[in-house]
Amino acid sequence: MVRETGGLTSKDGKRKMDKQQEFVLRTLEERDIRFVRLWFTDVLGFLKSVAVAPAELEQAFDEGIGFDGSAIEGFARVYESDMIAKPDPSTFQILPWRAEAPGTARMFCDILMPDGSPSFADPRYVLKRALTRGSDLGFTFYTHPEIEFFLLKDKPLDGTRPTPADNSGYFDHTPTHVGQDFRRQAITMLESMGISVEFSHHEGAPGQQEIDLRYADALSTADNIMTFRLVMKQVALEQGVHATFMPKPFSEHPGSGMHTHLSLFEGDRNAFYESGSEYQLSKVGRSFIAGLLKHAAEIAAVTNQWVNSYKRIWGGSERTAGAGGEAPSYICWGHNNRSALVRVPMYKPGKTGSARVEVRSLDSGTNPYLAYALLLAAGLKGIEEGYELPPGADDDVWALSDAERRAMGIEPLPQNLGEALTLMERSELVAETLGEHVFDFFLRNKRQEWEEYRSEVTAFELRKSLPVL
Amino acid sequence: MAPGRRSSTFTRLLRHGFTDPSAAERLLDSAEFAPMRDDPVLLDALGATADPDLALLGLVRLVEAQDGRTARHELLDTVIAAKPLRDRLLGVLGASAALGDHLIRHPRDWQALAMYEPRDLHPGVEEFERGLAQATDPVSLRVAYRRCLLSIAARDVCGTTDLAETAAELADLATATLRAALALARTAAPDDAALCRLAVIAMGKCGGHELNYVSDVDVIFVGEAVDGADEGKALRAATRLASHLMRICSETTVEGSIWPVDANLRPEGRNGPLVRTLSSHLAYYQRWAKTWEFQALLKARPVAGDVLLGEAYVAALAPLVWHAAERENFIVDVQKMRRRVIENIPVAEVERELKLGPGGLRDVEFAVQLLQLVHGRADTSLRSGTTLDALGALAEGGYVGRADAQQLDDAYRFLRSMEHRIQLFRLRRTHLVPEDEADLRRIGRSLGLRTDPVAELNREWKRHASVVRRLHEKLFYRPLLDAVAQLAPGEARLSTVAARERLVALGYADPAAALRHLEALASGVSRKAAIQRTLLPVLLGWFADSADPDAGLLNFRKVSDALGRTPWYLRLLRDEGAAAGNLARVLSAGRLAPDLLMRAPEAVALLGDGDGGGQLEPRGRAHLEQEILAAVGRADTGEQGVYAARGVRRRELFRTAAADIVGSYGTEQSPAEADQGALVDRVGGALSDITAATLAGTLRAVVRDGWGDTLPCRFAIIGMGRFGGHELGYGSDADVLFVHEPREGVDEHEASKAANTVVSEMRRLLQVPSADPPLLIDADLRPEGKSGPMVRTLTSYEAYYRRWSLGWESQALLRAEAVAGDAELGQRFIDLIDPLRYPAEGLGDDAVREIRRLKARMESERMPRGADPTLHTKLGRGGLSDVEWTVQLLQLQHGWAEPGLRTTRTREALAAACAAGLISGEDAAILDEAWVLATRVRNAVMLVRGRAGDTFPSDGRELGAIGRYLGYGPGHVGDMIDAYRRTTRRARSVVDTLFYGAAG
Repeated sequence: MVRETGGLTSKDGKRKMDKQQEFVLRTLEERDIRFVRLWFTDVLGFLKSVAVAPAELEQAFDEGIGFDGSAIEGFARVYESDMIAKPDPSTFQILPWRAEAPGTARMFCDILMPDGSPSFADPRYVLKRALTRGSDLGFTFYTHPEIEFFLLKDKPLDGTRPTPADNSGYFDHTPTHVGQDFRRQAITMLESMGISVEFSHHEGAPGQQEIDLRYADALSTADNIMTFRLVMKQVALEQGVHATFMPKPFSEHPGSGMHTHLSLFEGDRNAFYESGSEYQLSKVGRSFIAGLLKHAAEIAAVTNQWVNSYKRIWGGSERTAGAGGEAPSYICWGHNNRSALVRVPMYKPGKTGSARVEVRSLDSGTNPYLAYALLLAAGLKGIEEGYELPPGADDDVWALSDAERRAMGIEPLPQNLGEALTLMERSELVAETLGEHVFDFFLRNKRQEWEEYRSEVTAFELRKSLPVL
Repeated sequence: MAPGRRSSTFTRLLRHGFTDPSAAERLLDSAEFAPMRDDPVLLDALGATADPDLALLGLVRLVEAQDGRTARHELLDTVIAAKPLRDRLLGVLGASAALGDHLIRHPRDWQALAMYEPRDLHPGVEEFERGLAQATDPVSLRVAYRRCLLSIAARDVCGTTDLAETAAELADLATATLRAALALARTAAPDDAALCRLAVIAMGKCGGHELNYVSDVDVIFVGEAVDGADEGKALRAATRLASHLMRICSETTVEGSIWPVDANLRPEGRNGPLVRTLSSHLAYYQRWAKTWEFQALLKARPVAGDVLLGEAYVAALAPLVWHAAERENFIVDVQKMRRRVIENIPVAEVERELKLGPGGLRDVEFAVQLLQLVHGRADTSLRSGTTLDALGALAEGGYVGRADAQQLDDAYRFLRSMEHRIQLFRLRRTHLVPEDEADLRRIGRSLGLRTDPVAELNREWKRHASVVRRLHEKLFYRPLLDAVAQLAPGEARLSTVAARERLVALGYADPAAALRHLEALASGVSRKAAIQRTLLPVLLGWFADSADPDAGLLNFRKVSDALGRTPWYLRLLRDEGAAAGNLARVLSAGRLAPDLLMRAPEAVALLGDGDGGGQLEPRGRAHLEQEILAAVGRADTGEQGVYAARGVRRRELFRTAAADIVGSYGTEQSPAEADQGALVDRVGGALSDITAATLAGTLRAVVRDGWGDTLPCRFAIIGMGRFGGHELGYGSDADVLFVHEPREGVDEHEASKAANTVVSEMRRLLQVPSADPPLLIDADLRPEGKSGPMVRTLTSYEAYYRRWSLGWESQALLRAEAVAGDAELGQRFIDLIDPLRYPAEGLGDDAVREIRRLKARMESERMPRGADPTLHTKLGRGGLSDVEWTVQLLQLQHGWAEPGLRTTRTREALAAACAAGLISGEDAAILDEAWVLATRVRNAVMLVRGRAGDTFPSDGRELGAIGRYLGYGPGHVGDMIDAYRRTTRRARSVVDTLFYGAAG
């Protein structure tokens, strides 16, 4: 079932075996593949790639490819920098964007220490550990992301404002604009790589796109998101535009979120579903949501990891809400409440398997491996400790006054990256889930980003102060 | 027995093994049984059963259940007249309450036991199929199944069939039952049946033709469309048939259930489709299957349904099985599976587990399967699915020793028989040995243990379990020795290629070298070789369990070359239980201990049990000092005296290291020490004692050499830092201060000159190159540091501390303790410094600020460039210095008021601070844990690398060895680092609050 969602899945590296390797080697020969890209993800969520010639691949299967980990963000310090990237043949995929021969293929890698044990710096391993903890409790974790991003005409690097690729709005269907062609080509390419696309439409802001990936286990989804980002950028370039997953490129338009639907299964049974209860939500489901809420603030530095992420959360959500900007600023849940951080979607009668919750804080610039690991850990904590779910919020929480929100016990998400980091630093949940290595690196790296940002004189200040002071 | 005290029947019954003769007497009292009451033949027959009381009760009930007088008489007459029926019927009734109940529900079924002929004695599948042929629904199938089971049980308890035959018959009956159930399912759904071909493949014990009385029957289904049918439809039809088949067997009806049919060994387990096509199976195994799934396939055997399809399945998959051993991590996977099985048994039950516990049946089955997979690729004779057959083939081919195979065969048969008899009683699926006396008695008697069944059963069980527990040694290692030793000509031996394969599988990196060492150690006819041949299988197992098996074996060869001719050495290893295991641990745990040992191999003697054991216990400072001073006294010159002292020191270092390793790893006799703090304290205390005694001896030797009995001054050595705190590590220098005082009438200058000469002579002699490790003395904590005089008078210290003393000096003095030399002078020094280190009213704000600044500066300046602060044990985040400065600040501030804080030891001071309420219990525990862990890592680095280091080594094998020392299994190095970072991060957060005063 899960294993057959295309070539991307691999829950552990051990599943590979001779036949699959042979298949890869034979395909390389038959399809005249000259390069194989070995992919992995650094701690900040950037896709990294080592290209090897097919001749080196056989050895790579046996021993992995050694590389200098200190060159990769968050992997290793100089003196312990020997690391091994071991390709997972079950993720073999020919890259579709260079139609003409000779072609290129890719495989995802697991990162190993020199002794062959998994590296704690590998975000994939972070997620695998979290999934293992889930399966120890009897749960499988499925996710389904709705990824938003912008298509831009240009990508200025000097800090000036980019130009969106078009000027239409939500669900507009102007037959000629670039977005149409873009989406058609992108979907074809994704599906040729075994990534199923559920739905796509134009989002609320000029140039904004949304593509939903189909339900899969969390590790496959995270791999798919990494592939997805690259494919989008590639297709955009071929169409003469640029794709960006920056959370909030325009002050006046909604940002790019990555709302993700989560569900837990116990065997074949959806653990969130219970017929007859409120919203058909089981006790497990309620505790899971309670966990997501209780730990939302301390995991925000990962789910929303950039200085810019907080512009999406606080940058006029109440104004853009009606226009499809759905960034939650406050920690609460609701049923079809677009301002809530966790939404319990409408139950579809007869579809007990589809019970799920939607987390809306995530943005498109997150590292999906780390973010999904933390969401799962927060939810599991809720289940294990039996957290009580606070009452849901029916109102538009942006419309409430501060005092009203306080009275209802609704806390805000962190105001900025600095605040988020301070909360994360005190979180045992985050430290244990990420592992100490990633936890420590992430804090140091992001502190630095925050400090660089704080010391920067912005256009805002110049505009406000220069004329009058 | 005194005649006349009881009725003669009573005593007879007692003699025949009845436990409740009165009840039996009452049962036999009715008129109907009159002919039986005094029938010695019948009583003998009852007495021969496992449980005469139960057998008699069963018989009486069975007679009463007969329909009408005629039937009753027929039964009774047959029992009295026909020996075969008598033995079988009573045997079954005495062994199985469940089958007794069946007979009473179906009173005519007893005839199944009366009627069979010699040719029926070893029935096969066809006979059982005939026995089940009349069954037309699940209920009648159950009745027919039990009737067949009755005859199997009868042959079993009467000894007509042995264990292997019984197990095979049970598998055949299961086969016939699956066929009958499939026929019922097909009859119920003829349309489905017409669409598909369905084959049932037996797995597990049924597939291996070695089934238990009650156990899940493991199956896999293969389905294909009949020609022309749509595959999807056909598979859905086949799935319906298969699940109906499973229901027919598993469902509980008025007649109970037969056994659960378990299809979870199929591809993707519970989540996978119940029926797959052959090509889908093949694709799965080629692409996704894990090691254990191949191991399971060893037993696959088509049993029911479409014969051609079943055979095609086995033919297609068998080749894959034999390549499983080429998969990476194969052995690791298999061993992991085994460990997980043990870990999942509830602790309370592990001792009573026949199947899964240590020394249980699963052990034998796993080991045999493992060897089949390793060697079966090249040798097709090893491919039987039946455990005992495979074991026999392994012995035949020389892959395991014949005698060992025989012993294992016996043990396996015994344990399986126990299991059978336990299950037979109530026909329950259980592998737990019951605790009830009566149950144990019945089982013991059923296995022929008549005199004292309970005790004998327990004894036999333990004996066989221990044979199985020593299994790895026997199966895996001993054949390696036979391969190189070339004794016993004619017996099949492991080939060199096979031996190398096996060594690699066991973790040896250089199998060729390992074989050479083995050959050198085990060849020949000398007594040494003979003893080593017995020992090596055990040692090889221990080495394979360490991070560096090659080094362990090489080191053993070195020790053996050095000591092999010494009679006590071989005796030690052979006779003293713990010695061999201890030696194996010590030799394979790193460099330090073997290095110390190679310099004087006699120290191996410390690893033995000695006089009542305890040779690895630290000797204590007074003892050591006495020994060293005596050795110095016997020496001719000072140089020789120090040489002798250093020799003692080396031996004691070895003792400490060995005790540390043995305590950390644990051995068969004693599990690993769980209290990490105790391990650290023991090492720190022992090393500090050794150093103090060595200094005392060296001082005596130097003084005697230059001045005879008395120096012109009194002279004392003050231990500082870790030395003063009883916390020395293996590689630590000794931090000290030297203090002297001119004797009355001696010129201060002359006294001072003498004292300085003593110091430089001591330092020189303690580091003269020799076979013994040098002891470096560091006096840099003295007043004015490196620019100050090496020795001062007490008065000079007093003047200095009164006028100049700096904050950090008071802090350093917290660790000062007199360790050697003039005790009275040492005590006066301590009295002198007490007011400095425990200042009345504690520290002022300025002083606290100064200490904090100093520490903060040290953190940024002293950390080596490029070092990872999260892993630096000394200066890193939450490392030793963080914890120690925090504790020392508390001591400086509160030592004057809290006597408990006046100690040189970090952990003791921390505990005192906690007791005094200066730090919460939780914070104290966090700091203590971090300090202990960092110290453990430092000790580990020294033990593993033979060189001191402040952080984890980067070499993979060394890192692995550190992990083993700290209790992390292979492949868990990452977890160890993660745990270290977590523990120290928490400690740092306590330090931030307590030491730096950050808001919590």
